[in-house]
Amino acid sequence: MSTRLRSTPRRRASGRAISVWVIALLVAAVATVQIRSEAEVERSLVGIDTTSLAFLIDDLHRANDALQAEAADLRQRQATLHSGTSGAADQVLTDEATRLRAVEGLVPVHGPGVVIVIDATGLKALDLQDALNNLSAGGSEAIAVNDRRVVVGVPIEQTSSGVAIGGVVVSPPWTITTIGDSNRIAEVANLMTQELRADRRVRQATYRVEADVVIQTVISERPFVYSIS
Amino acid sequence: MTRRQLLSMVVVAAVALAMGFLVADQVKARLLTPSNQVARYQALVRSVQELEATNAGSRSEIAALRAQIDALETEAAGRSAATQALQNQVADLRAHAGLTPLHGPGVEVRLANGVPGPDTSGQARYLVNFQDVQDVVNLLFAQGAEAVAVSGRRITPLTAYSGSAGQVVIDQGPPLTSPIKVTAVGDRNRMLSALDDASALPDIRARQVQFQLRLTFVGSPDLALPAYDSSLRIPHVNPT
Repeated sequence: MSTRLRSTPRRRASGRAISVWVIALLVAAVATVQIRSEAEVERSLVGIDTTSLAFLIDDLHRANDALQAEAADLRQRQATLHSGTSGAADQVLTDEATRLRAVEGLVPVHGPGVVIVIDATGLKALDLQDALNNLSAGGSEAIAVNDRRVVVGVPIEQTSSGVAIGGVVVSPPWTITTIGDSNRIAEVANLMTQELRADRRVRQATYRVEADVVIQTVISERPFVYSIS
Repeated sequence: MTRRQLLSMVVVAAVALAMGFLVADQVKARLLTPSNQVARYQALVRSVQELEATNAGSRSEIAALRAQIDALETEAAGRSAATQALQNQVADLRAHAGLTPLHGPGVEVRLANGVPGPDTSGQARYLVNFQDVQDVVNLLFAQGAEAVAVSGRRITPLTAYSGSAGQVVIDQGPPLTSPIKVTAVGDRNRMLSALDDASALPDIRARQVQFQLRLTFVGSPDLALPAYDSSLRIPHVNPT
């Protein structure tokens, strides 16, 4: 009996200890889950900082505006075609052909733009490709370098004689003529020329905004050999 | 239970309670800043997602409108030989501008992120960036490609690349991330030889060694490219 009387409080005490441990474990587990989930959310966003996200939002706004403008143009074209007359269709097709020839660099063009002059020794094809891409991303709609028309697809390559555009070497100084949104292009040109002037290979890097830039040079049409529509 | 036991339990409970408050307060204080940052990130990410949804909707609308216009033009061309001739010209120009789906022999290049490693440049050079994509596309065009698409986005004469931190933005499309697939139709053998050349794409090859950036390619007898589904407007350019 006395053993039983002594063992009952001991059992109660060990029961309480177990309860305390279980509760402590549960609290620790919940806290760990909470803290880990917070960390998990943070980890999922690693690699995209706030600044990059802000730039991305800005780019997407601009892209969506451009897409909506294109959609509006297409709706207008569709409405003209719906009028059903042959003359309307001919006009739509003629306008489209003219626009696409300008897009592909097949006709001379003019418009507001920026002219950039870079005089340097040792700049490579990759430098020119990067510069032209920056200008395109910054609103250029037509580009020529030293009177060589450039669109995507025209090879810009490094040769033993220097940088060649479409197989023709373009010796420095490079005069890059661009047509497009001159305010946006000027911002890009400003940054670009500042960076270039800090480069020891560059003797001169300047730009000027012009109300009407003319690009006379054109690209020859290349028929598809391998591609099937 | 003795009075002493009761007292000790009360003391333990009070100490535990105080410790609990202290720990909770400490944890809350430590997490406050990161939690706010997470909330800000989430708000920005939600904005990006909403803008991407709008972007996708607009691109679908543009593709549908172009298909409807093509059908109306075909209908008009059926009524007039002159219109038919014009439509043929426009069809050829559209194909070269990337506005028409096409297929043919070519190569598929796959670019994928490497692994982080020691890097003094301050850039995440183990990630595929837009300049890598630009370099691969330029190489392919210089070596026999007639048409190129990047992860389903057709390259046009006016294409521009941008992006940051492993994101590649092409024209008005949404950001693309690794793995990036560059598909080119054209002179398959010439393109494969150029990609095999160890002196081509020097920056990517250096990062293959340093960060295990992945560049793989394969030729194929028939690859399909989608039509461009974004804007080709040139509002500031006028033909002379």
